[in-house]
Amino acid sequence: MNALADLLKGIRPEFDFTVSRDFIADGMLDSFDMVMLVATLDKTFGISIAGVDIIPENFQNLDTIAALLNKYGIQP
Amino acid sequence: MFLIDSTSKVAETISQTKAGAPAYCSNFLPAPRKLQGWITHGELSCEQRDGAALFLRKDRGFWHLYFCAANPTSLQQAVTAFPVLRAEPVVVDLVGQEPALAGLAGLFAAAGFGLYNRLFRMARIVSPSTPPAAAPDPHVVLASQADCQPILDLLVRSFDCRAEQIPMLYEIEAAVETGQIWMARCGGALAGLLFYETQGLTSTLRYWLIAPEFRAQRFGSGLMRTYFAEHPAVRRFLLWVIADNNNAIAKYRHYGFAPDGLVDQVLANEMIRP
Repeated sequence: MNALADLLKGIRPEFDFTVSRDFIADGMLDSFDMVMLVATLDKTFGISIAGVDIIPENFQNLDTIAALLNKYGIQP
Repeated sequence: MFLIDSTSKVAETISQTKAGAPAYCSNFLPAPRKLQGWITHGELSCEQRDGAALFLRKDRGFWHLYFCAANPTSLQQAVTAFPVLRAEPVVVDLVGQEPALAGLAGLFAAAGFGLYNRLFRMARIVSPSTPPAAAPDPHVVLASQADCQPILDLLVRSFDCRAEQIPMLYEIEAAVETGQIWMARCGGALAGLLFYETQGLTSTLRYWLIAPEFRAQRFGSGLMRTYFAEHPAVRRFLLWVIADNNNAIAKYRHYGFAPDGLVDQVLANEMIRP
């Protein structure tokens, strides 16, 4: 999980992703950021996140992103 | 094509398209409040095809196209087979990192769409080393309901509604209601405005505009100063700018904005492009 927090920090260093339970509501990620984050996750973990998974619910907090990665066989 | 009458109908249509579709593609990412406004005002229609849903939003004499598709092939078939896309003026926005947009842009090119304009996103990140915001300009005030029509007139006069998503009057009225529009007056006239949307730690600067006859009189800097000063908790300011508007880009850079890698390719069909 720390690796995931570090990855997000690398993308958006202005935010502390460990203190929020809802990145969307707190203005830390918007729908366009999700598109950019997916590209970074794909590249970092060598996966290809399907479009059907690019929904706000999967990017709400560190737990939901970790669960999404788990689906692709990644343990962040 | 049918008129969308509820947000649940939109969700249901998207879910049907997404179901079991690993290559799902979409440019339909509306904020819930915005979506509700379109539906309430009868602006949103939908055409459902095999494996794809095409949403058309009515604007000023043209349509915005949004899509959800199980895969690019389904999207291509839907776009090619839908006659409205050849008979009516239509624009479609493709948003993402530029290299990733090539496939979709090619698909729309095959259906008669071409590049109409290009915008990119700029961000201003507030860090501990960022100097504190200067004091707000006392001449800058929040817009009132009486200002809505002049604000709309100035926006329509100044921007390209096909590329720059000019709000409808009801959206301006709602923004004024929640204090999202600052304005500068000169002799009773609307000299300039700054229209923003804030969500938590991020604020998006939608329009920052000075009427031509009031330029070079420091109204613009007063508006920007007030905007920053009134958002001490915001850590990221965003905006979209036309890619070749060098004058605006230079001003935004002056205030600390820099490109963040996202682009918006605005494509238009042959009813719009010369």
